[in-house]
Amino acid sequence: MAAELEAIGIVKRYGGLLANDHIDLAVERGEVHAVMGENGAGKSTLMSILYGMQAPDEGSILLRGRQVRYRSALDAIAEGMGMVHQAFKLFNSLTVWENVVYGLEPQRGGFIDRAAAIAKVGALAERYHLQVDPAETVGRLSVGVRQRVEILKALYRDANILILDEPTAVLTPQERDGLFTVIRNLTADGRTVIFVTHKLHEVMAITDRVTVLRDGKVVAQMITGETSAREIIRAMTGRAVNLTVEKGEAKPGAPVLKVERLTVEGAGKALVDNASFVVRAGEIVGIAGVAGNGQTELIEALTGMRSPDEGHVEIVGHDVAGFDVEHHRAAGLAYIPEDRAATGTARQASAADNLAMGFQHTPAFARIGLLDYKAVAARARELIARFGIRVASEAAPVVSLSGGNLQKLVVARELAHQAPLLIAEQPTRGVDVGAIEFIHGLLIAERDKGRATLLVSAELSEIMALSDRILVMFEGRILAEIPGERADEETLGLIMAGRAKQAA
Amino acid sequence: MSAASARRLLRIPAVPLAILIGVLLGALLILASGRNPLTAYSAILVGALAPENLPDTLNWAVPLVGMTLVAALPLRGGMVNLGGDGQLVVGALVAALVPLYLPAPGPVAAVAVILAAMLAAGAYASLAARGETRFGIPMLISSLLLSYPAVGIASYVVGFPLRDTTTGLAQTVMIPASVRLPAITGPLNIGLFLMAAVGAAVVFFDRRTVAGYELRMRGLNARFAGYGGVRLASQTVRIMFASGAIAGLVGAIIVLGSQYRYQDGALVTPGYTWSGLMAALLAGGEPLAAIGAGAFFAALQTGGFAMQRETAIPRVLTMVLQAIIILFLAIRHGVGRRSS
Amino acid sequence: MMDFITPSLVNSAVQAMTPILLATLAGVLCGRVGVFNMAMEGQLLVGAFAAVVGSYFLGSAFGGVAIAIGATVIFSLVLAYGATIFRGDSVVICIGMNLLASGLTAYLLRQMFGVSGTFSDPGVVGLDKIRIDAINATPWIGWIFSRQTAITWASWLLVAIVTVVMFRTPVGLRLRGVGEDASAAESMGVDVMRYRIVTVLVAGALTGLGGAQLSLGTVDIFSEDMSAGRGWIAVVAVMLGRNHPLWASLACVLFGVADSLSVRLQGQGLPNQLTDVVPYVVTLAALAISHRRPLKGAFVETITAHT
Repeated sequence: MAAELEAIGIVKRYGGLLANDHIDLAVERGEVHAVMGENGAGKSTLMSILYGMQAPDEGSILLRGRQVRYRSALDAIAEGMGMVHQAFKLFNSLTVWENVVYGLEPQRGGFIDRAAAIAKVGALAERYHLQVDPAETVGRLSVGVRQRVEILKALYRDANILILDEPTAVLTPQERDGLFTVIRNLTADGRTVIFVTHKLHEVMAITDRVTVLRDGKVVAQMITGETSAREIIRAMTGRAVNLTVEKGEAKPGAPVLKVERLTVEGAGKALVDNASFVVRAGEIVGIAGVAGNGQTELIEALTGMRSPDEGHVEIVGHDVAGFDVEHHRAAGLAYIPEDRAATGTARQASAADNLAMGFQHTPAFARIGLLDYKAVAARARELIARFGIRVASEAAPVVSLSGGNLQKLVVARELAHQAPLLIAEQPTRGVDVGAIEFIHGLLIAERDKGRATLLVSAELSEIMALSDRILVMFEGRILAEIPGERADEETLGLIMAGRAKQAA
Repeated sequence: MSAASARRLLRIPAVPLAILIGVLLGALLILASGRNPLTAYSAILVGALAPENLPDTLNWAVPLVGMTLVAALPLRGGMVNLGGDGQLVVGALVAALVPLYLPAPGPVAAVAVILAAMLAAGAYASLAARGETRFGIPMLISSLLLSYPAVGIASYVVGFPLRDTTTGLAQTVMIPASVRLPAITGPLNIGLFLMAAVGAAVVFFDRRTVAGYELRMRGLNARFAGYGGVRLASQTVRIMFASGAIAGLVGAIIVLGSQYRYQDGALVTPGYTWSGLMAALLAGGEPLAAIGAGAFFAALQTGGFAMQRETAIPRVLTMVLQAIIILFLAIRHGVGRRSS
Repeated sequence: MMDFITPSLVNSAVQAMTPILLATLAGVLCGRVGVFNMAMEGQLLVGAFAAVVGSYFLGSAFGGVAIAIGATVIFSLVLAYGATIFRGDSVVICIGMNLLASGLTAYLLRQMFGVSGTFSDPGVVGLDKIRIDAINATPWIGWIFSRQTAITWASWLLVAIVTVVMFRTPVGLRLRGVGEDASAAESMGVDVMRYRIVTVLVAGALTGLGGAQLSLGTVDIFSEDMSAGRGWIAVVAVMLGRNHPLWASLACVLFGVADSLSVRLQGQGLPNQLTDVVPYVVTLAALAISHRRPLKGAFVETITAHT
C-alpha cells in the first residue's frame, strides 16, 4: 500500500547553502512520525515544502501514491495537509470560532452564520477532546489552549496529515500530556501526524517512527520502539553523546545581585510574585520554567526596562529598583536580551555602532560630549577578531549577519562591559551548534573569572548544563532552588508544572 | 523598452530619478494647460540661480532650510514633528513683541530677543513631547494639533489687543530700527549666517557628539536605544525643544530681518514648514542631505515665483513638483521615517 | 443653557460634520485593514474640487458627486499601491498626497477657471436639501434631519453599513484579520494585498463623497485648502474611536458639537480666530483623557509606539 505521504529527493538551496540535500521521507497512514534534528538541520525547510509554502528545487511529493504540486499553502490545505506552526498564526482580538472558520466561514444570506460556526467548532472540539470554548477571545487563552485552536483550524479544513512544528516548546508537562492524548485520538481516527522536534524523551514517548536530519540530509530512519535515545542523539549530532558542558567547580564569592520580595503586576494579577534570591560572584544561577511564567517580566524589572510594583533590587550594593536602564547599567549590569533583532541590535547600523551601545558615556569613547568614532571603530575591530564574528568590516551594517554571528556580537558587546552582573536571556536561541558551544564556553569562562551570571532559558538542557544553582519559576513565584549537580529533568519538570514544591 | 535598458534605468540613483519623473510629469501638466514646459523650466532655473536673483533665493532658503532642520532633527531619531507652523509663530510673535518693551541697546536686544524667541518656541514644542511621554498621545498628532491653537491665538492677538491701529492690516507695531538685523545685500540679511551656523551645529551634533549617536540609534531602533541606556523620555523632550527652538529662530529672523513686525498669516502662507518637512523626509533625517534638499526646494520655489512673473504659469506648480518627487521616492525607494 | 442649543445650531452641526464623518469612516476602514491613512485632508480637497468641476461642466450636482468620487478614488491609488505593493512608508505617502492635493487643486483652479483663491459661479449646481415635512416639525429629530443633503443622509446610513459589514460578514471578518496579523491572514488563504488595495480605494470613494458635501453641500464654491484641517480631525476621531466605526463616529459628533460651540461663541462676539481654536483644544483634551496610561510599567513601549 502506498505511503500516506512520500517525499522523494527533495532539494532546496538558499544561495550557496544546501538546506535540503536529496531528502527522502515516507510517512505511513495513521502513524506518528517524528522528524528530528538540531537547529539548522533542515527540518523547517522540509516542512515548509511539504506544506506548500515553498517549492523544492528538485524532487517530488506524493500523497497516497499520487504526485502533487503546490502553488501555495492553499493547495496543500486543499490536499489535506495541516500545519501547526511554532509561532501561532492566530488573531488575538477575535474569538476561537472566528479564528477557526476564518477564510471558510459558514454563511447565511451574505452574513456569517454565527450559530452554525459555533456549533461546528464546538462539535469538532468535542470529537477530538480538545477542551476549548468557541466563544472565548483567543488573546485571553493560555498557550496550551491556543495550540488547540491551531489544531482545530487544521481539522476544520479536514486535514489528513497534520504537521506539528516544535509543539511542546511552550507547553507545561501537563499540557504536553494533553496534547499527546489528542494526537492519539487523531491517529485512532485514521489521521497522520508528523512531529517535528528536537526533544528526545517526547519522541520516545509518542512516536512510531523517527527520521533524523543532519546538515540537510537524512542520516537515519528508525522505528522508535527498536532504538534508543543514545542512538538517536548520535545520529543527530554525528558524535558520541556529550550532554554536559566541561566545567570545573564554582567558587562563589560575595553577592552581586540581591532580589527581595520583587513583585510585578499586570492584567490584574502578579506576574512576578514576591521573588527573592541572590546571585553571587563566580556563579551561574539558572532560572528554569516554561515560557510565560513571569521570566520575561522578572528580567524586565531586573534590567530597568520596567518598574517593579514592590520589592528591592540591589546590584553591587546599589539600590536600583524603579530606576531606569542607564542607572542599572551604571550600577554594574550587562544584559543579553532574548530578542537580538528587536532589542539587542539596530539592524541598519554598522557593527561598530552596534558594539558601542552602552559604552557611549564611558571615558574610553566620550570626551566633553563628543564621541570618539576612531576609538569606537578600533574597539569594534578588536571585538570582532576576539570573538570570531564573521562580518565584512566594522562599518558593515549588521543586517547581513547570520543569527549566530549576530548573537556573538551581542554577547561580545555585553561581555566587553566587564560588568559584575550579567543577565543572559535565551543566549543560544536560534543559533547554530558551533556558536552555541562557543557561547556556552564563554559563559563558563566568565564565571571562572568571577562574574555573576543570571541565566534564563527555555531549554532545560542548557539550564542544567550551565547552572551552578537552579531556580524554578512557576506562575511568577520562585518555587524551588536546587543545586546544579542534584538537578534532574523529571524533578524539575514537575516543579515547573507546579506539581511539586521543593523545600528549599 | 528592453529588459537590459530597463535595468539600467533602475540603477540611476533614486533622487535624480525622482526629480526627473517630477520634471516630466510637471511638463505634462504645463503642456495640458497649453504652455511650453521649456520656457517654464528655464524661467525657474534663471529665476533661482542667476546672480542677480541669488539674494532672493538665499533669503527664501533661510527659513526653508531652517524648517527643514526643524523636521530633520527629530526625524533622525524616528520622531515626527508636524507642529512647525505653531512653533514658528510662537517664536515670531515673541520676536515681534519683546523689542517693543525691552529697553536695551540694539545688538544686545537683538540677541536677547532671538534667544527669547527660541526659548518660547522650544518650550511650546516640548509640550507635544510631553503629550507623548506622559499621556501616550503620538507626537505626530499632538504636535499638529498644538499648531492650530498657536496660529489662531497669535492671529487673534495681532488682530485685536496688540494690533497696530495706524495701519489697516492685522499686524503688530514695527520694531525699533536698532533691533533689526543688518542687511547683506538686497533682501538678504545676516540671518543667513545665523542659519548657516545652526545648520553646521546640527551636522556637528549628528556626526560628532554622543547625543547625536544616541539620537541616530533611536531612529534605527528605539527599543535598542532604550535597552542600551538611552533615556528615551527625556531625549524626546530635549530634541523637540531643540527642534522648536530652531523654528523660533526662523520666526525671529523673519521678523527681525525682513518684516520688522508680525504680520498675520505672513509666516504660514509661504509654506516653509511643509516644504521643510518634505525635504527632511527626502533625506530620512540625515542633516546634510536635508539641508541640500531644503536648498533645492528653496531654489525651486523662488524660481517658481519668477516663472509666474515671466510666463504667468502659476507658481503652485513647484509645490506640485515637490509633492511628486517626494511621493515617487516614498513609493519606490522606501524613503521615510527610518533612514534606509 | 438650553437656548444655547438652538435648532439651527444642531442642524448646522450635523451638516458640518458630514465630511468629517465620511473621512472618519474611510480612516477606520483603512486602519482596520492595516494601512495607516492620514491623507484624508488631501482626499477631501480633491473631492471638493472635483465636485465643483463636475457640477460646473456637467450642469448637475449629481454629476459633480460622481466626478468627485471618481477623482478621489484615482487619487487614492497612490496610497493603495504605494503602501502595499511598493511597501512605502504610509506616513510619508500621506503627507505627500496632502501636499499634492493642495498644490494640484490650486494649480488647476487657476488653469481651468482662471481664478485664484476661490471659484464661485452660478454654473456650479449645489446639492438639494431634502425636506420631509413630517419630520421637520419634531424637536431634535427634526432639527437633525431637516434640510440636509442626500449625502448627509447617506453618511449616517454608511456608518451603519460599515459597522454591519465589518462585524457580521465574511468580508468584514477577513478584513479585520488582515489588519491584525497579515501573515496569519495570508496563511489562511486571504489575499492581503487585494484586501488592502480595495479597502483603500473604497475609503477613497467615501472621502470623495465627503469632499463633494464640503463644496456642493453648503457653499457651492471651491476655495483653496478648504478642507481646513477636517481631514486631521478625522485622523484623530479614528484614533479616539480605536478604529471602531461606531466609536469613531461618536468622536465625530463630539467634534461637531465643539465646532458648533465655537460658532455659537462667535455669535456671542468672540472673534473667530479664537473660536476656531476650540475644536482643537477639545480634541487635545479628549486625547489626553482617553490616552492616559499608567505611569508605571514598560515606559519603553510608550515611547517607541508609533502610530
